[in-house]
Amino acid sequence: MGRSVELARIIDGCKSGDADSFAQVVDMYAGRCYGYFYRLTGDRDLSDELLSELFIRLVEKIGSYKGGAFESWLFKIASNIFHDHLRGKQRRKKLLDAHRTQLELEPDLNEPRFSDDGEMRLDKLQVQLNRLDADTRDLILLRFHSELSFKEIAELRSEPIGTALSKLHRGLKKLRELMEG
Amino acid sequence: MTEHARENLTELLKRFMDAPAVEAAHKDIQAGERLLDAYAAPAPDAAVLAIIKTRMAASALRRHRIIRLVHGSVAAAAAVVVLALIGLLGPGSANRSTLSYVAIMPAVLWDSDDIVADDLDLAYFSSEIGLIEAQMQALDADESGVGGSDASDELEMELMAIQTEFWKG
Repeated sequence: MGRSVELARIIDGCKSGDADSFAQVVDMYAGRCYGYFYRLTGDRDLSDELLSELFIRLVEKIGSYKGGAFESWLFKIASNIFHDHLRGKQRRKKLLDAHRTQLELEPDLNEPRFSDDGEMRLDKLQVQLNRLDADTRDLILLRFHSELSFKEIAELRSEPIGTALSKLHRGLKKLRELMEG
Repeated sequence: MTEHARENLTELLKRFMDAPAVEAAHKDIQAGERLLDAYAAPAPDAAVLAIIKTRMAASALRRHRIIRLVHGSVAAAAAVVVLALIGLLGPGSANRSTLSYVAIMPAVLWDSDDIVADDLDLAYFSSEIGLIEAQMQALDADESGVGGSDASDELEMELMAIQTEFWKG
């Protein structure tokens, strides 16, 4: 309850154009939003760009936020930004080429590319995530990083809750098989 | 506590699956989410976040200025409209004369190029000048009946009379 009151106060500050309130929103959500973008793109620089675009759009759109789950509103914008990015001709081509090359080359996951073990594990998850279809990957990452309920995710994606639940179940099961295989 | 944390996944799955499938699906989802937990995504760079915060502050300031400018313009436009309405509908508007202005000179005179014919005074003086011209020509020609030096005195007198009359209007 205290958290939601605090969040409401911060959002009111944002609506008044208060820079400190915007900075607080960044501190609260940047990690999760960055994780979402990074897992979707596998590119840190691109994730930086998308994260920056997300928060600038937040400044522009905060007046249209009329209550409800702020995370749902924020991740809806994040999802739109990612899909806008995909629609961009040049960027899309670059991204798809990179993914295609990555899949065609079939990277040898037993051959460490990074000296740090944590970085190597990240790379493995990223490769396996890229093997899922884009929609399922988006759904899994949205659920994980936004921490929204299935009801909220179904509303955000404009699809029945049963469909979202079924897709997520199948997607996570496949991801686990890929990781273990 | 978020909606996500409050959510009862088993109850939700029961709405869409048979009882035996629910437990398996629940396990699959939990295992998948544990996997994502284990492979945490990297955190954004602190320098990037600092840049984002600066850009947000600048953007918010710019938007605030634009909004203030727009509000100022709207207020000014509203004031002009209010003043115009007060001028049209306000006190004193009922006492204002409803007579319309008309030209005192007939439109045909404005349209005519024959000034002499249109103006009676001009017509009079034009005929006088014409007469004097005729008398001058007669004097020059030394015509009989017009009369030698008396005639020129008479003409001079006549010119003076016309001049006086002209300035009287």
